[in-house]
Amino acid sequence: MTEELQSFIEKYDLLGCIQCGRCTGGCPVTVRTDLNVRRFVYDTVDEEALEELAKMPEVWDCTACNTCAVRCPKGLKPVEVLIGLRNIMVESGVVQPTVRDALESVFREGNPWDKSRATRNDWMKDLEVKMAEPGEPVENLIFVCCTIAYDPKLQVVAQNLVKLLNKAGVDYGFMDTSETCCSSEVHNLGEEGLFEMMVEDNTELLNEYAAKRLVAISPHCYSVFKNQYPDLKAEVLHYTHLVGEILEDKKLELTRELPEKIVFHDPCFLGKQNNVYDEPRYVLGQIPGAELLEFDRSRERSLCCEGGGGKMWVETESKKERLSETRVKDAKELGATVLAVACPFCVLTLDDSLKAKGFEEEMRVAEILELLGEALD
Amino acid sequence: MGDLFVLAEHRQGELREITFEMLSKAPEVAKELGGDVVTVLLGSGVDAFAEKLAAYSDKVLYVDDPLFADYNSDKYQKVLAELLKTHKPDVFMVGHTTQGVDMAPALAVELKLPMVTDVMDIHFSDGKLSPVRQYYSGKVNADFGFKGDPPYLLTIREASFEIVEGSKQGAIEKVESPLKEDLDYRRFIEYIEAEVGDVDITQSEILVAVGRGIREDKNMTLIEDLAKAIGADICGSRAATDAGWLPHDRQVGTSGRVVKPKLYIAIGISGAFQHLAGMKGAKTIVAINKDPDAPIFTEADYAIIDDLFKVVPKLTEKITELKG
Repeated sequence: MTEELQSFIEKYDLLGCIQCGRCTGGCPVTVRTDLNVRRFVYDTVDEEALEELAKMPEVWDCTACNTCAVRCPKGLKPVEVLIGLRNIMVESGVVQPTVRDALESVFREGNPWDKSRATRNDWMKDLEVKMAEPGEPVENLIFVCCTIAYDPKLQVVAQNLVKLLNKAGVDYGFMDTSETCCSSEVHNLGEEGLFEMMVEDNTELLNEYAAKRLVAISPHCYSVFKNQYPDLKAEVLHYTHLVGEILEDKKLELTRELPEKIVFHDPCFLGKQNNVYDEPRYVLGQIPGAELLEFDRSRERSLCCEGGGGKMWVETESKKERLSETRVKDAKELGATVLAVACPFCVLTLDDSLKAKGFEEEMRVAEILELLGEALD
Repeated sequence: MGDLFVLAEHRQGELREITFEMLSKAPEVAKELGGDVVTVLLGSGVDAFAEKLAAYSDKVLYVDDPLFADYNSDKYQKVLAELLKTHKPDVFMVGHTTQGVDMAPALAVELKLPMVTDVMDIHFSDGKLSPVRQYYSGKVNADFGFKGDPPYLLTIREASFEIVEGSKQGAIEKVESPLKEDLDYRRFIEYIEAEVGDVDITQSEILVAVGRGIREDKNMTLIEDLAKAIGADICGSRAATDAGWLPHDRQVGTSGRVVKPKLYIAIGISGAFQHLAGMKGAKTIVAINKDPDAPIFTEADYAIIDDLFKVVPKLTEKITELKG
């Protein structure tokens, strides 16, 4: 027992913490919940207290945005301490039914949405999609993401990427229905055993493709492949890297004017987790007629939308204004007509808040690829 | 030819619906078996229950003993094992409920009874009992057959059979409890009601769900009228609860409540993905939305593509009229 708990201290380098409080000071959810991540880093040093700490509801308020880790002067990852506590709950079997169902669905169908694996590529219908074959060289292997593959509203994101790649004439390939959840959210929900299994299986599957680069559409897939799949052979990219490159090399020209005022919301898993700030802005800047605005809180100070960290399956009990609501209000005050994002979860949370605030007439939430689709025609 | 035994389930002073669901199917099964419907009831101070059950049974066998004041699977198992050994029925039906799945497998092991769990229908094939249960998350229904000798034990899924009012006048037989002293290795401590709001939408049979399409708080009366007419509870999308039109415990979605009602009427909900995933288990889904491309229609069984402000009042009117 002691050995296992000592490893908790070692695993998260808890004794390295100087209790400066920069983590909690920057944590975006503190404005609406009691989560105090500094306190958890302090309290989890007490081996005996772990099980009780894991039962605290605030453990599930974290969105894994990574602000705490970005701000930590000692290079610690306080967010992972909370995920470690979630792991204790998952191991004990006491989790919310919504979490249980999502994890079971990943195990059974390879996606957290309880959708059939067989229909994963239904979004490709009526499209000319180049498929990658295991063993055959391909420059860019595209990884779609469960949410984009199944959400009828988000499928257009993948469809537009196909159109764009076909037009640009770049070498690419999609996977058949064996594409399986990257499991970023499995990790964030604390199901370490399932996560390890998925990493092993996915690594084997993805390495069968002789791909030079693995291009993820969702920042969540991008981030986990880049940082938590040590044995992947391909270089990992986000689609804004690839599309930016295509536009820079003039392989494609955006011809149609979009007279919109666009403000870009940095997805945490792209920005704060991986320092990708410039590529999405470069791509948006290539849209003719569009005016780019900036939030006051942007780039590494960007406000989280609360869609990550498994929060699509766990509701925060607080009734205070959601961060996504604050975000759409800020966008409206800036005078934006489009709140652009590059992440499926950001689309879901921000779009809901846009509706809750009744801003549908003045503004819309759009994934960058939706806008590129409009600028292509 | 043997009898059909049915275990009466009760909690907090009320007979549970599953009991009457099983008893509504029971006469058909007993007829095929060529035996009687015998309801088995264990409890304390349950004379009234026995009388009520007699209307659905050829015979009620009941044990009335303070030891059965609260449900305890170990005590149930002891008594039921004795009753099955004495009376040797052909089939024993138990609810596939928290109580039933706690007790039935142990009973099956003790008496070496062939058993099929989570049964949703019962057929007879060439005169042989053939229960039906599902595979692959409900995609396949499989007919089962039994090996070995009866009694055969079945746990029956809730809401599988419609309740038909009973008209029998069965005999009531009080039997001495074979359990002479209390078993103390598993004790009942207290009954804790799950914390829910005023309405637990996960238990609702009919739900009327509202989305941003209703535009303003004051339009909720339209929805309330329809819900009242049809006997439904009201729930909503995250956008609707965030807008403050409904309490947060009425939010349907993967981060809110996952619901599986018999009927789900989605009004002015375009169908955010996390909402769709929270309601797609509903048996019948009706969606009302003026946008034909709204994703809600990918899950709907019936689509009404029109302005909800036109459709909902008409629907309420028609339902009220039909209900007389």
